[in-house]
Amino acid sequence: MTSVILYRPSASGLQQANPITKLVLAGTLLAAAATIQPLAQLLAVFIVALVPLAAWSRVLALFLRTCARLIWPFALSLGVIQGFFAPGSTILLSLGPLALKAEGLGAAAVFSSRILLGLGSATLLMLTTRPDMLMLALVQRGLPRQLSYIVVTALQIIPSFQSRAQGILDAQRSRGLETEGGVGRRMRALVPLIGPLVLGSLMALEERAIALESRAFMRPGPRTSLCAIPDSRPQAVVRWILVATMIALVLHRVL
Amino acid sequence: MIEISGLTFTYAGASSPALRQVDLSVERGQLCAIVGANGAGKTTLCYALTGFVPHFYRGSLTGSIRLAGREVTKSPPADLVGEVGLVFQNPFNQITGARFTVREEIAFGLENLGVPRQEMVERLEEALDITGLAELAERSPFALSGGQQQRLAIASVIAMRPRLLVLDEPTSQLDPAGTREVFAALRAMTARGETTIVLTELKLALVAAFADRVVALAEGCVVADGEPRQILASETLQAYGIGETRYTQAARRALQSGLAPADRPLPVTLDQAVEFLR
Repeated sequence: MTSVILYRPSASGLQQANPITKLVLAGTLLAAAATIQPLAQLLAVFIVALVPLAAWSRVLALFLRTCARLIWPFALSLGVIQGFFAPGSTILLSLGPLALKAEGLGAAAVFSSRILLGLGSATLLMLTTRPDMLMLALVQRGLPRQLSYIVVTALQIIPSFQSRAQGILDAQRSRGLETEGGVGRRMRALVPLIGPLVLGSLMALEERAIALESRAFMRPGPRTSLCAIPDSRPQAVVRWILVATMIALVLHRVL
Repeated sequence: MIEISGLTFTYAGASSPALRQVDLSVERGQLCAIVGANGAGKTTLCYALTGFVPHFYRGSLTGSIRLAGREVTKSPPADLVGEVGLVFQNPFNQITGARFTVREEIAFGLENLGVPRQEMVERLEEALDITGLAELAERSPFALSGGQQQRLAIASVIAMRPRLLVLDEPTSQLDPAGTREVFAALRAMTARGETTIVLTELKLALVAAFADRVVALAEGCVVADGEPRQILASETLQAYGIGETRYTQAARRALQSGLAPADRPLPVTLDQAVEFLR
């Protein structure tokens, strides 16, 4: 079964930090990505902040690979669009009526770096944070339990939903449903797939509601948790420094 | 412990009742097995004992269910939780999806009950041990087989230590060895006198070996109620399509061919069958 969870455990690094600290860190880096202007500074933040943190958390190779895989479609399309269509006078290459301009490429590089920094901070958060621990930490800070449940369950149930769809598809095929061919045929083949999938999922939903009730999910009163969420005074200080940095970045940009 | 009297329930939109005038009382520490053909009302009775009928599945209900002095039909499931535990048929849909490992999935109910961490760990280990899941404790609940998920569903509910445990076909996906283990574990729980168990089961040989009491349902009515041997070997069960154990079948054949004297009571377990043929 495929998993949609990126988390990689490690005995050291960000994995051992409080999820809220990591969330605030990602938020601060996102603010940096949105507010910092020069290209060099954007790349410097990536190299000085994200790369060492990823290395400390023992996910550097995976982190860089994920970033590379995420960024190239943006970089390529921004490069083409900005390079050819943004106004500018420094022509690098002429292709008939189109001209590739240095100013456009420069703008594309800045945009791409912003996206890289933003996606990078989100990627590092996901690689080093268990989604359920993050949601638990948020619930302890007042997020509704139901909302947290929806997020965590979605992560786990999507793969099982996919395998259910595959099962129905196979069953319909074994009864002679043709699923290959032109667009029209493929569209028609969806009908006998969607009905059982949706109805089956609704029935499963009813049983899952009973299961949650039997496990005291809706019971009022205080709750405990099996996993302790790590936290410390220094981390709280780090959080406040990050929040202050975030505010400073935004103010600096706005004023 | 439980006192059901005159319970009749019709699902909203259904033309005939799923349970008709059910009277049943189960004593504390008893392991009571409900047997019956498909559609006899076993599942509805399980839901009624846990408050899901009529609070989740709506319909018209008359009669009463009293559990330790409390009226179950008037209590929503959220009020009964902790007191009453339910394991239902489909193991996959009993996995909440809220937690990523087997251990945490079992802990989920305890977290919601507010059980302190130290005690939670003790109860977890016990539940893992009873259900034979200790080696799978760190696996994802979604990566388990059907039988393992069924054990997980049972472990998750017994960790909550309900005084009344209701299980609806808890061994439907288990192999013969797993089924015996689960029954032995349930038997051990009732032996301590703290827990009362009501379960539905189609495997009559296991009911015969482990239950204190057998109640047969047919078309929503209680048609037989008593000791396993007395009920499971009776002719009435045959008439309602419930069947009988292989031991009883073998004994009937033996009687027909004159291998055993006609005055002996029919057996329902292996030991009784050996005794019968001696």
